[in-house]
Amino acid sequence: MEAWGMSVPKNSVFTVVKGNIVKVLDLNPDQISIDKSLSDLGANSVDRMEIVTCSMEDLGLDIPLMSFAKVSNIEGLVEVFASHLR
Amino acid sequence: MTAQRPPVRPGPRVLVTGMGIVSAIGHTVDAFAASLEEGRSGIRRLEPDLGAMPAAAIGAAIAGFDFEGLLGRRADTPEPLVKAAQRVARRAPFTIQASVIAAIEAWHQAGLQPSGVAGERIGLVVAGHNTTRRYQYSLGRDFERQPQYLSPKYALHHLDSDQIGVLSQILGIKGEGMVAGGASASGNVGLIQGLRLVRLGLVDACLVAGVVADLSPMEWQAFHGIGALGGKAFADQPERACRPFDRRHEGFIPGQAAACLILESDESARRRGADGLAEILGGATALHATAFTDPDVDGEVRAMRGALRDAGLDAAAIAYVNTHGTSSPKGDQVEMEALRAVLGQRFPEVWVNATKGLTGHCLYSAGVVEAIATIVQFRRGFIHPNLNLEDPIEPAARFSGAAAIRAPVRTALSNSFGFGGINTSIVLRALA
Repeated sequence: MEAWGMSVPKNSVFTVVKGNIVKVLDLNPDQISIDKSLSDLGANSVDRMEIVTCSMEDLGLDIPLMSFAKVSNIEGLVEVFASHLR
Repeated sequence: MTAQRPPVRPGPRVLVTGMGIVSAIGHTVDAFAASLEEGRSGIRRLEPDLGAMPAAAIGAAIAGFDFEGLLGRRADTPEPLVKAAQRVARRAPFTIQASVIAAIEAWHQAGLQPSGVAGERIGLVVAGHNTTRRYQYSLGRDFERQPQYLSPKYALHHLDSDQIGVLSQILGIKGEGMVAGGASASGNVGLIQGLRLVRLGLVDACLVAGVVADLSPMEWQAFHGIGALGGKAFADQPERACRPFDRRHEGFIPGQAAACLILESDESARRRGADGLAEILGGATALHATAFTDPDVDGEVRAMRGALRDAGLDAAAIAYVNTHGTSSPKGDQVEMEALRAVLGQRFPEVWVNATKGLTGHCLYSAGVVEAIATIVQFRRGFIHPNLNLEDPIEPAARFSGAAAIRAPVRTALSNSFGFGGINTSIVLRALA
């Protein structure tokens, strides 16, 4: 990862994830920053899985759900997706 | 002649204090009532959009449903309720969203918002089953290709009981809840369960929610396959296809409606100054022990007599019957025979009509739709038309004609019968 900021894939992954958060949680995009957790934004466990599944579909990924076990915020989620895109 | 209800059972009188509907002939009770009075049918030719449908699919579909628009239509809906509905149901299947809109209308009318009755004292009966078939069918093709992308919400949405979760969360209902089913009699089965919950004192008020029948192409094909659907002779004139009790009836025409009633004990309504719209005096279910679709005179008679007994009335008190009347040749004939048996000499004096001529057969919600139809006719003093009744199969019956009739009726039976030999009837009475 580049030290001075997000890599291009990570940035575009965040755009996809953010779009699904907006859709599932009915939020304004400005309310979503990458350091927040989905729970902070009001997501319950089914909402979280909905956001993950929709994002996997949009990104054309099929990642075992165990891979998300240690994710604590949106950035962690984005990183798991980005690592599978490489 | 029984003018007053004798004390047949302990427990309070049970009033209807709220009504709500989203149907093919109106997205509010007022619009629905106006359509009934004017004889406006919701039956049209349907365009297949999910897959192959039987030729000449005709039905009364809910058109132009806009969840957000309907949710925001009343400025006096409390903001937290609107927010909760958006949060829980904004992305939910259509059948859930339609229930939410109808339930909020009923809730409003009953004055249960913000806190008319404690949530722990309110029950919830969801009337209907297999209510997610079209939703499931719509996901099937994608699922076969890429099962990993199935929406996790499917784990909740495929269950009929998802309606319980959604409605109870939005409205803060915390008493007893259940899904009640009985095929086309589900609405009445649900009303009877709600009536019992209130009578037994288990709750003070109960929301009974009749769920939209959102059929998938598979159910359409199956109903077509057993010859249950009408619409063949009038394929080019869909508005003439549903003809309950007319000699040219051919079968039922599916319809859609979400319909809700709030049932409430008279003590609870009095305590909070809520107006009763009507009283539900009784109801009964009787099976006729069949695995098949055939109607049965004896089963229907036992349901109607059971409902009258439960109400503490005899048949002489009945002035109007909202029939099951589906436009099915066998069903219409059997119901006429059953009515003759129950009403006896008064058969020619009792007003009779079939709401399904205007709404189509709303299947799971039909009993609740027709309870609402009965109550609006009480309150507005009319008997709605029997559309397309040109040559009645039973000339002695007192059918309304092509136009509404001004007739103040006060006590009615409303029938619903379902496949599998499920016969139900309820007794409703006007107030004041």
